[in-house]
Amino acid sequence: MKHAIRALSIATTVLWILTVFFSVTSIYSALKLSFGFGELEASASSEVFTMSLPFYINNGGFYDISDLNVTTDINSRDGMRISNSTTLIPLISRGSRVDRAHNISISMDDIISKDLTDLLFQDSVFDIDMFVALKYARAIPLQLSSNTTMFWGAPLANISIGEISYIPIPGNLTHLKIIVPFSFENHSSFTLDGTVRLELVDVGVGETSISVPPMTAYSTQVEVVVRSDARTPTEARAYFETSAFSFGPKVIPFG
Amino acid sequence: MAPRISKAVIKGFIWFLMLYTVPMLILSMSGVPVDLFPDYTELLGVYAAVTVFFVVAAELLSKTVFQHAFNMAKAIVMMVFFVYALNGGFVTVDFAAIHISVDLRVYLAMLLAINFLGLAKSALQALNFISERAETSQHPR
Repeated sequence: MKHAIRALSIATTVLWILTVFFSVTSIYSALKLSFGFGELEASASSEVFTMSLPFYINNGGFYDISDLNVTTDINSRDGMRISNSTTLIPLISRGSRVDRAHNISISMDDIISKDLTDLLFQDSVFDIDMFVALKYARAIPLQLSSNTTMFWGAPLANISIGEISYIPIPGNLTHLKIIVPFSFENHSSFTLDGTVRLELVDVGVGETSISVPPMTAYSTQVEVVVRSDARTPTEARAYFETSAFSFGPKVIPFG
Repeated sequence: MAPRISKAVIKGFIWFLMLYTVPMLILSMSGVPVDLFPDYTELLGVYAAVTVFFVVAAELLSKTVFQHAFNMAKAIVMMVFFVYALNGGFVTVDFAAIHISVDLRVYLAMLLAINFLGLAKSALQALNFISERAETSQHPR
C-alpha cells in the first residue's frame, strides 16, 4: 500500500506542477498578445458596398492561436439581417504576426430582395453584432462578442426636382426644351459614378452623367426635349445606373 | 502540543503567502487589471482560506487518522469549489461592451483529476494508518 501511496503522491505532484506551469505560461502568453486595427476603407462596385477593416494580431506568447473566426452581422433597426460577413484564420503560430482585412459587404441584391431600398434615399443606423471565436493553445476555446451601431449614409439623400422651365429650341417650332433642376446629396462614404435617366411621365426622357464624391451635395439641370404640344408633366421617375448599383424607378414629386 | 500548534501556524502562514499574497502581487506587477475581476480575486481569497484551514487542521491532527480524514474532506471540498468557481468550466466576463466566454473544461478536468488523486491518496493513507494501528495493537512490542 505504501508504494501505491508514493505513486499517487508523485502523480499528484507532477500534475500540480504541470497545471501551475500551464496556468502561468498561459497568463504570460495572453499578456504578450497584441492586436490593432487600421483605417476603415469603404468602396462600392458591381452592386456591392464593401467596408474593409484591416487588423493585425501579434502572437508573442508560447501557444498557438487556431481557428480564429471573425463574424459580423449587420441588422437594420427593425431587426432585419442585411449582411453577414466572416473572416477565417486557421492558425496564428506562436511568435508570429498576422495581417488581414475583415470585409463587410452589403449587396444591392440583399437591399432589394429585403425591401430595404429606402436605404438608398434615407440615412439610417445599423446594429452591428461582432463575434470573435478562437482556440488558445489548441485546448481552450474563447469567444468574444460585442455590439455597436454604425451610421449608414444614403447615397441619394434629399433627392428633389426644382421648378421646371421651358426653353424654345432655335429654328425648331415643333419641339422645345424642358429644363429640370435635379439635386441630391451623397451621404455615403463612396463616390457615385454613373448616369441618371429622368423620365417625365408621358412627356419625355432626359439623361445626365454624375460623379459625386462622398459627403457631397450635387445639383444639375437635366434637359428633356419634348413636343411643343406636350402636356405639363405631373410625375418624374429617376433611373440610376452607377458603378455601385442600378436602381429605378424612383418617383420624385415636383418641387 | 505547543510545537504542533506553532508548526500548524507557520505552515498556515506559508500556504497563505503562497496561495494569496504572492499570486496577487505577481498579477498586480504584471499589469493585469485585477480591479476589473473582483469576483475572481474574492474566489482566490476563499480558495486560500479553505486550503489554509485544512492545512492547519491536518497539522493539528497529525499522527491521527483524522489527519487523513481532513485531507479527504479537503479534496472533496476543493473539487466542489473548483466546479463552482469555474462555473462548470464555462467562465464569462463582461468587460466594457465586450462579453467574453472561455471554455475551461480541459483545465477544470485537470484540477478535478489532481484532487481525485489526492482523495484516493488520503483514503489509502487512512487505511494504511488504521491497518498499522491494528497490527501494533495485535502484536505489541
